Amino acid sequence: MLKHPRGKEWEERAKKELKDKPLESIIWETPEGIRINPLYTAEDLESLDYVNTLPGLPPYVRGPMATMYTNRPWTIRQYAGFSTARESNEFYRKCLAEGQKGLSVAFDLPTHRGYDSDHPRVAGDVGKAGVAVDSVEDMKILFDQIPLDKMSVSMTMNGAVLPILGGYIVAAEEQGVSHDLLSGTIQNDILKEYLTRNTYIYPPQPSMRIVSDIMAYCSKEMPRFNTISISGYHMMEAGADTVLQTAFTLADGLEYVRAGLRAGMKVDDFAPRFSFFFGVGMSFFMNIAMLRAARMLWHRLMSNFNPKNPRSTMLRTHCQTSGWSLTAQDPYNNIIRTTIECLSAVLGGTQSLHTNSFDEAIGLPTDFSARIARNTQLVVQEESDICRAIDPLGGSYYLEVMTQKIVDEAQKVIDEIEEMGGMAKAIESGMPKMRIEEAATRRQARIDQGLETIVGVNRYVADDNIEFEIREVPESVRNEQIARLEELRKKRDNKAVEKALADLTRAAETGGNLMEATLPAVRARATLGEISNALEVVFGRFVATTLCISGVYASEYRDTTIIESLRKRTAQFEEREGRRPRILLTKMGQDGHDRGVKVVATAYADLGFDVDISPMFQTPEEAARMAIENDVHMVGVSSLAAGHKVLIPELIKELKRFGGEEILVIAGGVIPPKDYQFLYDAGVVGIFGPGTPIIESANKVLNILESKGRSKQS
Amino acid sequence: MTKAAGASGCGEESRAQASEFEKTKAGPTKDSDYYVKGVLDNDRLILSKTITLMESTRPEDHDLALEVMDRILPYTGKAIRLGITGVPGGGKSTLIETLGMMLVEKGFRVAVIAVDPSSKISGGSIMGDKTRMQFLSAQENAYVRPAATGQTLGGVARKTRESMLVCEAAGYDVVIIETVGVGQLETTVASMVDFFLVLMIPGAGDELQGIKRGILELADAVVINKADGDNLVHAQMAQKEYQTALHLVNPRTPTWLPPVLTCSALEKTGIEEIWNTVLEHRKKLSATGELEARRREQALEWTWFLVDEGLREWFYKHPKTKGLLPEIKKRIESGTITPTRAASELLEQIINKRS
Repeated sequence: MLKHPRGKEWEERAKKELKDKPLESIIWETPEGIRINPLYTAEDLESLDYVNTLPGLPPYVRGPMATMYTNRPWTIRQYAGFSTARESNEFYRKCLAEGQKGLSVAFDLPTHRGYDSDHPRVAGDVGKAGVAVDSVEDMKILFDQIPLDKMSVSMTMNGAVLPILGGYIVAAEEQGVSHDLLSGTIQNDILKEYLTRNTYIYPPQPSMRIVSDIMAYCSKEMPRFNTISISGYHMMEAGADTVLQTAFTLADGLEYVRAGLRAGMKVDDFAPRFSFFFGVGMSFFMNIAMLRAARMLWHRLMSNFNPKNPRSTMLRTHCQTSGWSLTAQDPYNNIIRTTIECLSAVLGGTQSLHTNSFDEAIGLPTDFSARIARNTQLVVQEESDICRAIDPLGGSYYLEVMTQKIVDEAQKVIDEIEEMGGMAKAIESGMPKMRIEEAATRRQARIDQGLETIVGVNRYVADDNIEFEIREVPESVRNEQIARLEELRKKRDNKAVEKALADLTRAAETGGNLMEATLPAVRARATLGEISNALEVVFGRFVATTLCISGVYASEYRDTTIIESLRKRTAQFEEREGRRPRILLTKMGQDGHDRGVKVVATAYADLGFDVDISPMFQTPEEAARMAIENDVHMVGVSSLAAGHKVLIPELIKELKRFGGEEILVIAGGVIPPKDYQFLYDAGVVGIFGPGTPIIESANKVLNILESKGRSKQS
Repeated sequence: MTKAAGASGCGEESRAQASEFEKTKAGPTKDSDYYVKGVLDNDRLILSKTITLMESTRPEDHDLALEVMDRILPYTGKAIRLGITGVPGGGKSTLIETLGMMLVEKGFRVAVIAVDPSSKISGGSIMGDKTRMQFLSAQENAYVRPAATGQTLGGVARKTRESMLVCEAAGYDVVIIETVGVGQLETTVASMVDFFLVLMIPGAGDELQGIKRGILELADAVVINKADGDNLVHAQMAQKEYQTALHLVNPRTPTWLPPVLTCSALEKTGIEEIWNTVLEHRKKLSATGELEARRREQALEWTWFLVDEGLREWFYKHPKTKGLLPEIKKRIESGTITPTRAASELLEQIINKRS
């Protein structure tokens, strides 16, 4: 087994220690399906020709810069947005004073989806998951007293990327800062939105045109600005393992390169301004290896385009610790998890990093939890001496082998995608989404069985309940935004706005650069919703189709007696009630995080439920009508973006209005325990927080339905 | 946290009971009047509950369902019945979304019954068709009902047919039944509709693979979807192949030679042509009286089907046979009895007793 000269001796010693267990029992297979031997040696490195390469030189596996953190540590870049532009601005300025080096703006969901705060579809979402921005006036407040020529600004925006980037440019103009001085990053990665996050507006084709128009505009006007941040983070959060994250992210990158080339640019015009965004989870070494593998693979893939500028083949990345790894149970454990993930990202050589707050599985971060998150990085950066040597784990037998394995496995997936005609085609086929959902479902089944330990959730459960402060967004935020919109519409020159919007629509029809065409509308104080709409009349609004996998949860669940006992319960339910328990799973509002709801859907079907899935972005009225028409026993609402206190009571009201008061409502997702009573009072009959094993929730759902049946007979 | 969850679990149950108590106090008693009146008034809630009643496998619901069916039957028969089947991923739901929207805009009232397969292993199902019929589902003049097949062919056949009739009684002008093109279900659906449309997508040359020849014999039209963009040429090639294939199939009637059409549900092209084909078929077969004849034939077929189902159920639940079944099964498996002998022994149990 071992090629080491004394390998036989080691094996004998190992066998003795293992007593009656075979040597194979200490071989582990990762979720990616990669075999991990218990021991690696120098012999394993013999075939790996990249191992002794240098940082700052191809293939960049040891880091894109020559000096890495020895010269300048990674940028601590915390992603945050607090309801209103004013609050967010105050928060940013405080963070900058406390040692944060760059800004990262989180927008609320209506902004992402191109709706103004007064749009009827977004009543529950304004200011919830980030800052609400309706016009350049909000942008100016957001960056008040923050010098945009000096401060690098990262903006997570993909759907409404034109009005937001336009708002940033015009806000800078009005600060007196010229375009060429602007530095920062716009996410502008629309492809992954169709895979996981669902904050798109238009169909893929026109969206890709927007991406390449922004690349073209910025390459001329804003040479210091990163025009795209190709993101694997959301794929990881949706369930992708390290191989899938690497493969799909780089495949997305290739698609953007081709879009740039098709738009008539040279690869060196835009590729040096590409940045990446990876998610880092709990598997410590796999995640370090992933970042190193991604750099090596990107260099390989980009070399095929024959760039002259070495930066075109260099993968620079931002990282964020995993939100999925956070638990609502025993939440202070999350600080430890985030620290481990932070180390992973740093040892993998990230250029900037966001560390999550420990309370994010429960609600929106508070000042306190945000400070702890930031300090996690500061402690690692300034107290641990980790920055003293470059790529300190380089040469580790284990890590180097893993790096190569991820390169090889990811290359296989990329080849498969290339054969389908690239990532855009692959996405159309539904392949990447299904792969991710399958990985997510398998993982859930492993966690539910305790095969993967999560401290405080499926093992070592604490019996005390920690109470701590949770931030809540007051409903007044929406009213404030609406009032500001009304004022804006009164004050501005509406003729000029109309003309600018008409010009934008024409550019969309005839093919001018859309970034250029957006700026006059922004300057004239057109709102984000108006600008998005001026394009929507030409491009249309994208409607996702939902594909579902089946059988995966049950097949991953090894204890078949548990599965069988639930199947028996659902079958008995049918005998008694004349049909199977039927549940509609829905997501309301603009919250597009659909991993949870998809995993529950496929698992419940595996347990014998009839599961209806609603389209994304439902209004409470639409969800209620669907529940009535499909005549379900129960509606399950998944809420991850803080809209629950508005949307769920509204749903219950709509169900009553249609005469469907018999239909029970349960809720799941990120719901702070202190809101439970509010929801119960509104009529919700069950709430399942993150970390609830599916088997447990299914049993409880059946308890609820059965007790309803009993009381009917009595 | 677990403790807390356990505690809230109890709370959940008591709450559910409380709300149910209020319900029974206020709710109307559901006799056949409730259902019949609701359906005829096109009350969306009661229409939905009536379909649930038709779908119910509970013996107690059976008589009520029968009574409701008897009473609404006079109001059925006026709708255009359209069956759509095809391979998974072929774009059936998207076609129905586009076609349905067009019909609603023309002033029709459209009902859709989307049948999804239940898992043979778990008995459960995932019904996601409405995610692809978002606009149609939101129309006042549309009703979309996803239905799971359940475990038996007989079950799905019965409830699909009855759901269709319920929708007709509620005043829907067009009833579309969507099924996944696998298994025997299509034959059953084809035998309850006026027009049976088989939806295909262009592949790479091997167009006829994976599709049973039998399904083409049932088709009143074959439609090649996804005739858009790069696929257009493939779609036209597929069209030719299917035309050739259909020539080798005996048409069900000399009045109607099933055409092969192309469309793009996504780009909304070729949809009007599909509808014109349905209307033309209707016109021709009405003129010859074949449409009426087909429906009469279907009614007859349906009767025999129900008799078969009833006999089968009666046989398996008969006290004389029910007890013998496990024993006979064992003997067949161990090879101590031939299937022929086993069947004959079982049947004699009942037949002898009856005679």
